[in-house]
Amino acid sequence: MIEGIPFRDDLLERYLCSHDISTPPLLKRFFKIADVVFQPEKEEDVLRILKLAEEKRIPVVPRGAATSGYGGVIPVKGGFVLDFTRMDRFEVDEDQKILVSEPGAVWWDIEKELNRKGLSLRVYPTSALSSTVGGWIAQNGYGVGSLAFGSIAENVLRLRVADFRGVREAQNIHLYAGLEGTTGIITKAWIKLREFEEMKAYAFHVSPEKAVSLAYSSGHHSALFLDRNYIKMKNEVFDDRIPERDTLVIVTGDKMDGDETLGQEIWESRFYPMKIKRLGPGIVPAEVIIPCENLPEYLHRISKYSAGSEVWFIRKNICSVLSFLPWDERKISYAFKLKFSFKALKIAKKLGGKSYSSGLYLSRESENILENYQELLRFKKEIDPDNLLNPMKVFPSGMISKIIRIAEVFS
Amino acid sequence: MKIGNQAINNEAFVCVQCHYCRICPAYSVLKWESVSPRGRMYLLRGIIKGEIEPDSRVVEDFYRCTTCGACEAVCQTSIPLIEVWERARSEFVNAGIAPLPVHRKLKEVAEKNGNPYGEKREERAKWAQKYQFKNDAGILFFAGCTASYRMMELAKSTVEILMKAGVDFTYAGEDEHCCGSPFLRTGQRDIAYWFFRKNLEEWKKRGVKTIVTTCSGCYRTIGKDYPEIAEELGYEWNLKVIHTVHLIWELIESGKLGFERSYEAVTFHDPCHLGRHMKVYQLPRRILEKMGYQIVEMEHTMENSLCCGAGGGVKSQFKDLALQIGKKRINEAIKTGSGMVVSACPFCKLHLIHAAEKKIEVRDIVELVNERAKPLNTD
Ligand SMILES: Cc1cc2nc3c(=O)[nH]c(=O)nc-3n(C[C@H](O)[C@H](O)[C@H](O)COP(=O)(O)OP(=O)(O)OC[C@H]3O[C@@H](n4cnc5c(N)ncnc54)[C@H](O)[C@@H]3O)c2cc1C
Repeated sequence: MIEGIPFRDDLLERYLCSHDISTPPLLKRFFKIADVVFQPEKEEDVLRILKLAEEKRIPVVPRGAATSGYGGVIPVKGGFVLDFTRMDRFEVDEDQKILVSEPGAVWWDIEKELNRKGLSLRVYPTSALSSTVGGWIAQNGYGVGSLAFGSIAENVLRLRVADFRGVREAQNIHLYAGLEGTTGIITKAWIKLREFEEMKAYAFHVSPEKAVSLAYSSGHHSALFLDRNYIKMKNEVFDDRIPERDTLVIVTGDKMDGDETLGQEIWESRFYPMKIKRLGPGIVPAEVIIPCENLPEYLHRISKYSAGSEVWFIRKNICSVLSFLPWDERKISYAFKLKFSFKALKIAKKLGGKSYSSGLYLSRESENILENYQELLRFKKEIDPDNLLNPMKVFPSGMISKIIRIAEVFS
Repeated sequence: MKIGNQAINNEAFVCVQCHYCRICPAYSVLKWESVSPRGRMYLLRGIIKGEIEPDSRVVEDFYRCTTCGACEAVCQTSIPLIEVWERARSEFVNAGIAPLPVHRKLKEVAEKNGNPYGEKREERAKWAQKYQFKNDAGILFFAGCTASYRMMELAKSTVEILMKAGVDFTYAGEDEHCCGSPFLRTGQRDIAYWFFRKNLEEWKKRGVKTIVTTCSGCYRTIGKDYPEIAEELGYEWNLKVIHTVHLIWELIESGKLGFERSYEAVTFHDPCHLGRHMKVYQLPRRILEKMGYQIVEMEHTMENSLCCGAGGGVKSQFKDLALQIGKKRINEAIKTGSGMVVSACPFCKLHLIHAAEKKIEVRDIVELVNERAKPLNTD
């Protein structure tokens, strides 16, 4: 296809590289699949693929580990999928405590290497065992360490980005973080690190109100709150018997008087938030960001849907709430159950919150999620006038966002 | 294509697609989604939903998997993936789009000779000519095809250990048939069932109560698959099946085996069929320690151990892939700085020797035990 760049254009690989973790009922019939899957090995490969895409006016869809669930990696209009599996090199500047990484490097591979050098990531997603540097920055999110260090974007110093005009190095991270490749393809990132510190996890059986005050009581590293419904579901699928009560886990270098054994047990399962999918099999998700003072009210209002919720506390008194409603995704009723996702978002918005992310499905929410949306829209039009960089994502266009809007209204 | 197996029909929808299974040894070499465990799960789901119809290309990538089970150890939703891979392959065979050419050939050869190596049945027990076995001993040594035809020193070592420790045991000789492992792993269940019947017949004839084997593949097959097959076919199953490491440990514990100690540093490669498939991790290590060896673990060890690359029909059909995986494992072993990698499976040894290209010594635990064993009290 392009000499020297690994690619596949057989039906199987194209089919397999045309979805993320979401399971949208009915919508899928409107999606095309990738025309070609490329695995660039270096930045120059990315530029060559972009050149061909521009010449032939073919959409370009970047793909990390495809662990996101907002449709960002779906080649809705077909096109070239750029799978970054082979661009996974990274270096560590130990003196400056900076990670310099290609987009395909996996967070946990990096963390293991950093720990050997006495360093550590400031933040990482709970999908760190597989998700990539490029993918999480492009998605922009919160995770482990966000209580102390905020979003991944807040910890990125510099990016190298490729678009149809070539490559540039950018310090204005907001033009790319959370933009899901619509304004350029990330080919390298400089990320701030911290010194490795031994920390312990402490569990507390407390109400959401109390959880909020405890989480922010001192400069803790991470705080995770599980409501009792979620623990009940976890117990059903894990072997352990965690007390079925609202539980806060704080991870900190300080000494605390919480339950260390339980704290550690829950902390160790942090990479497995979706284990409860087995209960459906399938889950209806709802993911929002809300001001912490409204967390108790939010949890109260969604409680009638019998979902289980996991809350991550974030710097600046906000928190992300991820709720799951197990439901058999093979049943027609699954489509109706999606109502829960829309309802939860509506409730969150009333309480001063917003959607966690936009991607394809919730591109209409971008205006609420991205602070300087109009500036970003102008920037997008300037660098990608033909809308070839991950079209229909983040900036709403086409049928899908309209269908979702209608579904939202009916919910 | 319709997939009849109920477990596959459920598990395909349990998969989160989180890609933690990216640690798959085949995927880490080939890097294409179609080779990844999650890709295979998504394919099964696509077949069930009627979104994709599998063809020969699809089936080929499905077989680029050693069925090592590394994916199962990290699975977000605890899917019994090894079972899923094997059952899916059998569905493909039933649908007429598998097995792959070499696997088909192996079956033809095995039907004729009772082993997949194409060796003569009458030469199966050639390695054992100098030994005298007891009849009606209750314990039977099952050598397996690899130790009978390729890694004879392992069969011999096992027999010599047992003899030194005064264990009475029998051996079926030329009446021993392949356990069927290569065929269960590649979805060709019918011939495995035939071998099951043949072997069971021989064991019954000999009044066998316990089967001991040095081959981890045979151990998994006879220890785990046979009872299931017996149930499926309505046979009575009351045999105890152990790996030689179990017996060696028992002999050590009961004071029947001692060792001339060695103080060398070695690393231990967990055979997938002994470790992840049968959950035996500590015993071989304890035995090595008893012999005085200092064990230096590789980066991937025990439940997270890296496969040697040979299993699941990969060595026979995809030689390059098998070798690349094997070399990764050998590099890990070399990195430990120990001069020797020890395993507990003739098939692993066969393949690792090939991959090692003499850069590190590859031995099986039964060889070391035999070399250093001192009988203590054989009353
Ligand atoms: C078990 C589990 C736990 C999770 N935990 C968290 C969590 O704690 N926090 C969180 O925020 N999310 C979480 N997620 C969601 C998801 O893992 C994150 O968004 C993740 O970091 C995405 O990384 P990825 O490599 O999978 O990216 P992908 O899903 O492949 O891509 C994400 C988006 O980025 C774009 N993209 C990918 N690479 C590039 C590039 N090089 N340049 C430009 N654009 C690119 C894609 O087109 C897509 O729009 C979780 C998911 C799972 C399954």
